[in-house]
Amino acid sequence: MKFLIQRDRLVQSVQDVMKAVSTRTTIPILTGIKIVASEDGVTLTGSDSDVSIESFIPKEEAGDEIVEVKQTGAIVLQAKFFSEIVKKLPTDTVEIEVLNSLQTVIRSGKSEFNLNGLDAEEYPHLPQIEESNQFSIPTDLLKAMIRQTVFAVSASETRPILTGVNWKVERNELTCIATDSHRLALRKAMVEIENNDIYNVVIPGKSLNELSKIMDDSNELIHIVITENQILFKAKHLLFFSRLLEGNYPDTSRLIPNESKTDIILNTKEFLQAIDRASLLAREGRNNVVKFATINDGIVEVSSNTPEVGKVIEEIQSQSIEGEELKISFSAKYMMDALKALEGTDIKISFTGAMRPFLITPLHDDSILQLILPVRTY
Amino acid sequence: MKEMYPKKGRVILHVDMNSFYASVEMAYDSSLKGKPLAIAGNVEERRGIIVTCSYEARKFGVKTTMPLWEAKKLCPQLIVRTPNFNRYRLASKAMFEILSQYSSLVEPVSIDEGYIDITDSYELGNPIQIAESIQKRILEELDLPCSIGIAPNKFLAKMASDMKKPLGITILRKRDVPQILWPLATNEMHGVGKKSAAKLSTIGIQTIGELAKGNEIQLKKLLGINGIRLKERANGLDERPVDPESVAEFKSIGNSTTLPKDVANQKELFSILETLSQTVSIRLKRENVLAGAIAITIRYKNRKTITRSKKLANPIGLKEEIVSYAKELFVKNWNGNPVRLLGITGSDLLDHEEAVRQLDLFSYESEARKEPLFKVVSLLREKYGKNIIDKAGSHQVDPNHQIGTETSFNKDFLRSFNEKKKE
Repeated sequence: MKFLIQRDRLVQSVQDVMKAVSTRTTIPILTGIKIVASEDGVTLTGSDSDVSIESFIPKEEAGDEIVEVKQTGAIVLQAKFFSEIVKKLPTDTVEIEVLNSLQTVIRSGKSEFNLNGLDAEEYPHLPQIEESNQFSIPTDLLKAMIRQTVFAVSASETRPILTGVNWKVERNELTCIATDSHRLALRKAMVEIENNDIYNVVIPGKSLNELSKIMDDSNELIHIVITENQILFKAKHLLFFSRLLEGNYPDTSRLIPNESKTDIILNTKEFLQAIDRASLLAREGRNNVVKFATINDGIVEVSSNTPEVGKVIEEIQSQSIEGEELKISFSAKYMMDALKALEGTDIKISFTGAMRPFLITPLHDDSILQLILPVRTY
Repeated sequence: MKEMYPKKGRVILHVDMNSFYASVEMAYDSSLKGKPLAIAGNVEERRGIIVTCSYEARKFGVKTTMPLWEAKKLCPQLIVRTPNFNRYRLASKAMFEILSQYSSLVEPVSIDEGYIDITDSYELGNPIQIAESIQKRILEELDLPCSIGIAPNKFLAKMASDMKKPLGITILRKRDVPQILWPLATNEMHGVGKKSAAKLSTIGIQTIGELAKGNEIQLKKLLGINGIRLKERANGLDERPVDPESVAEFKSIGNSTTLPKDVANQKELFSILETLSQTVSIRLKRENVLAGAIAITIRYKNRKTITRSKKLANPIGLKEEIVSYAKELFVKNWNGNPVRLLGITGSDLLDHEEAVRQLDLFSYESEARKEPLFKVVSLLREKYGKNIIDKAGSHQVDPNHQIGTETSFNKDFLRSFNEKKKE
């Protein structure tokens, strides 16, 4: 194998596939990056067996030559060293050549590295995925949907299924749901789908975070293929595979209240800042609890009291309060996470009682909702 | 009498009861007086370790923590009694009550020792007169001997009370430190155990005097912040105030038990965890606190000991909750070998009133059903004050009821001394 490649394109691809490489893998060869040079260009692969990322660098793009393949072939190089080396090479072009017995030479300007490679034949094959049934979604919308839900997945392994985001596709609509059982985030959007297949899968939150990091903010379509235990995201020159979580995601639809006793409309930014201030005195690590109460004339009071530190009270003018009076306590962190995930200048909060989950939605937009469970004070 | 007191600084006494448990037994049964007496956890079983012994027994070389069989070898005529914690508790209470008549600043440290700050007690006499009066009253009224240290701070007072036993009164001034303390080995110093002393000797520090002149950077590296503290103490400096509340500040509540025999049967170990959880739960309730973290201790046959803890999303106090986390931790960390000792500790303690429970999406409904009740309760409290109504279950347990104190002593009861004082 021997090829010449533009360094910046190589660096970018290496960085992308590195997102899947873990040093804590039980399969030693997965600490490496697989490099395959073919007639069409160079393909890099990184994997931790849960997530696999494949990045393709074409021979030429828009008339510019990016790769010159002198001899096709494949090699696996230690990701830790290879990624650092390519970042620091002195010139704009890099030559990579595999000598006999897996010895790999990386040349750039007057610098020359000799790396011991591993046999590419031993690198596990990526899942073979039948690409007939796929749906498509613009990249920026996908990134928004991930951002608005993935923060709510559970960080604890007590219920492993909750560490993932539940994706349901039905009648051209994709619904993403995440919950750690203390709050829940839901986002819906229309997708382009070729047939009327129904999907209901759970994608590890960690995978979605990584995916989001390597996707550009463009409106180019991403194609998504779902199989029994894998999901594949296909962007231009990039394949992202993730294992799916096994097990049934709890049915959350019946847990989301559909009636309310108190509805309050607030300015998102004002409310977020008030909660942020109130949480300053709420004790770290003790759930950051703030109190929320309706008082007269459409005024809402947000307060927090930590006896050994002090207390804070703030009044907020709402746009409207309808229904019963209310006093409730909740985690400031959950509220801030939810408010940051919502779009729009105004939000509606719908309460059904101090001990029941409440809903936060943007005004006049039902594609997204955030649900929070209150805390009970003794 | 004010001229006998320092113009600046404080006068602190450390009152240390002499072989307390043995002395109490002798006070109850005067036929034991003057005889070698030992109090041991259990006469037959192997956890029979000497808890305390009389001065007569010490003459034979019998020491605290010595196994019973070894003590009997040294002193065949040794009289062995099992502890009567109730008696010790009563005697301790009476002792602290006497102390509190000399100053309001009394800090119980354990069942048989305490600090008392008499800086403002000059009307009662000079420090030596006060110490003599305390010693005399404890001896006459309770028939119990004690040693008292008089010093400008807690550390020196503690060192002083240790110098003359039994029935000693020792004054230790800051200016006496170089002559009296510095020649002593570091392990003679309060706060330096065997391990610290061994560590100190690695940097050439054998005596308190060498510690007093030790290099702070080296000490800090060796013993952390405690290294600096020890150096200060070695120089006779100690800023800690006598704090009557300190005994009330619980960092954790835990219980452990040495098993009568090594056990490798999970079912049996589980039932021990059940019992321990029950004890911890009752003690938590008595202190009106909840635990934000649960830890378990497992000691194996070979004495290897592990402690594993878990931070909880919601603070807990009920036995069922404690036992479920304790079992979870146990199953995760037990290597299957025979266990010699098991313990459960609740820490990150939180006042019941401050505690909150984050509701759970999948279980909130059962709590929400009680909502109308909570509403009424909070309305009543708003109208008539906090104490108008409470859950029957949240009522404090009688603080005098003993629990978790069968095999070893804990300080829970000292709180009741302070509480009573506040009334």
